[in-house]
Amino acid sequence: MIQELRIQIKKLIKDKTVDLVIGWEKGTLPLTATPLFMKTEEDVDRLIFDHTCRNNLTTFLTKDKRKLGKQYDKIGIIVKGCDGRSIVLYSVEKQIKRENVVIIGVPCNGIIEKKKVYQKIDKKEILEYKIEDEQLYLKGRDFEITLPFDEVLCDSCLSCSYPDALETDHFIGDAREKLDLPNEYSQVEEFEKKPSEERWELIKEEYSKCIRCYACRNVCPSCYCNVCFVDQNDPQWIGKTPEVTDSIIFHLIRNLHVAGRCVNCGACVSACPVDIDLLMMNKKVEKEIKERFNYTAGTDINEKPFTATFCENEKQDFIMS
Amino acid sequence: MVKIKKTELSGLINYLSEKYQVFAPVKDGKKTSFQKIKSADEIIDSIPNTNLSPKSIFFPQAEVLFKYDENGIKVPKKDEKPFAVWGMRNCDAKSVLMLNKVFGNAHQIPDNKMYNDPYWKQKYDSSLIFGLACNAPLSTCFCNWFDGGPFDEKGSDVFVIETDDHFIMNGISEKGKKFLKEYKKDDKSDIDKEKIESLKQKAESYLSEKVDISNIYDKLNKIWDEPIWEEISSKCINCGACTFVCSTCHCFDVSDEGKSGKGQRIRLWDSCMFPIFTNEASGHNPRGVSVQRVKQRVMHKYNYFMDNYNEHLCTGCGRCVLVCPVNLDIREILKKIIKV
Repeated sequence: MIQELRIQIKKLIKDKTVDLVIGWEKGTLPLTATPLFMKTEEDVDRLIFDHTCRNNLTTFLTKDKRKLGKQYDKIGIIVKGCDGRSIVLYSVEKQIKRENVVIIGVPCNGIIEKKKVYQKIDKKEILEYKIEDEQLYLKGRDFEITLPFDEVLCDSCLSCSYPDALETDHFIGDAREKLDLPNEYSQVEEFEKKPSEERWELIKEEYSKCIRCYACRNVCPSCYCNVCFVDQNDPQWIGKTPEVTDSIIFHLIRNLHVAGRCVNCGACVSACPVDIDLLMMNKKVEKEIKERFNYTAGTDINEKPFTATFCENEKQDFIMS
Repeated sequence: MVKIKKTELSGLINYLSEKYQVFAPVKDGKKTSFQKIKSADEIIDSIPNTNLSPKSIFFPQAEVLFKYDENGIKVPKKDEKPFAVWGMRNCDAKSVLMLNKVFGNAHQIPDNKMYNDPYWKQKYDSSLIFGLACNAPLSTCFCNWFDGGPFDEKGSDVFVIETDDHFIMNGISEKGKKFLKEYKKDDKSDIDKEKIESLKQKAESYLSEKVDISNIYDKLNKIWDEPIWEEISSKCINCGACTFVCSTCHCFDVSDEGKSGKGQRIRLWDSCMFPIFTNEASGHNPRGVSVQRVKQRVMHKYNYFMDNYNEHLCTGCGRCVLVCPVNLDIREILKKIIKV
């Protein structure tokens, strides 16, 4: 599959259909891929696609003052299912012109969450690894272990109904339909059952770990405000200390700001250097939007954002209770 | 040298606690960091270095400089007991020395006066640092690039070597020596020098090959306008994870929080990665885009700090390598630069 993908991308670069293609290459750490910006055919030889390609690369289309979009007329981008939803979201929210982006879909069978792997091996160092037959084989100085995939995949992958991009220009491999996941919100439902004091304690416990590095915000494809509210300092909108009272405001506002816009890529979870469970609240909000507005972000390029439409039969109990 | 059984650590921590507030590496949620401890049971052992760096002991992420209300200004009271830190790896102990050059060591200000940061000094000057030899560095460790090593004693008051059942302690600074003398009778007879040497060699063998970066300062002076910066910075997403886990990054911002006549001034960690770092009141930002900020990080570490203090502001602890969400590996950046 990777050869076919490389041939396709080389062709796009050679034909000058695109000026740049964003993909992944092997990183410097075990189980880690790193973004690759391909401008020449030689660059393409470094391209990989496997269970380590964690980053949602679409974030580069909107980050750093949308520099890439200004620098290049036509950008190719390789997308997994979730990344593909980000592109759709960008198009729906008019952040990109669909015709300026060449979307290359690849079949995603889930991404490995390094954090889970390191928990399993008690944070020992991995010196060798192999991925085969839905299993992860690891070797370190004093251990050898084989882990089944379902124990080490990202939580966002385990609750993903859209493994393959819906909107593509090219798809390498066989694209699959939407999956039906009966337990997509099981963790959220567990959370909802708890009394409010307990829920509040859980939220506080998670967000008190925050060191305010904003890795979650910066890897997030849906976080693309020109000036984020945390960077508003004239006047200052929120406190900047790592105290939970300040951090919680950052996280809950971010939660609401990506409401109906989060594509469940889980990039924030993997990026967090202090392992905050950022997915749960995002899933909670996603579930809420789905129930109230029958809307799932990034799944229909012709649909308007849920906040930009109104139907008379929408649940309005928050207004008329 | 003083040798104690590992089981005596608990006694040592209790002994220290009489005079000091003791900090040590502990489990902090799913991660590890240096925190104030009450007993030796809280200490986690056998980790190369903590996920979060110990710089926060002396340079907290948020530090109240003063509070004010209608009665005037109040500076927070000095901590009652001085700090003792157990278990700093060589990379971290060296980092604290570097930070002391900035905050504590008579930094010259333009009108020819010397400036010492009182908030730093009151914590650092009276502290006692127990460095702990690193028996198993990670593959992301590159202390050897900066002439450090897993058994480097620099920055420690007392340097501790961990063997299977014992801690062997050696006084390095005057206050370290004084402490050991008071704590236990010096006894060299029982020290297995060969064992220590073999531990040291084993630890060093874990490190990857040293890369010669002696020309990095000169190279950086010459490549300011080169396109290589675009290449280096292209994948950086400008979060502050690298700078916040870094044991030597020390840029800070001062924030006033207050309303109706009451409030406080806080010193907060800042990060050159952030879009409002060096954003001026006019709205102009000399480092408005990513490439300029990545350049600032590299220049500060491997060039500007050399100008000011004659060393690199990096000890090769490898934390930034481990946390970067896009695997922008500082070692790769350095290798690229030395080859330009």
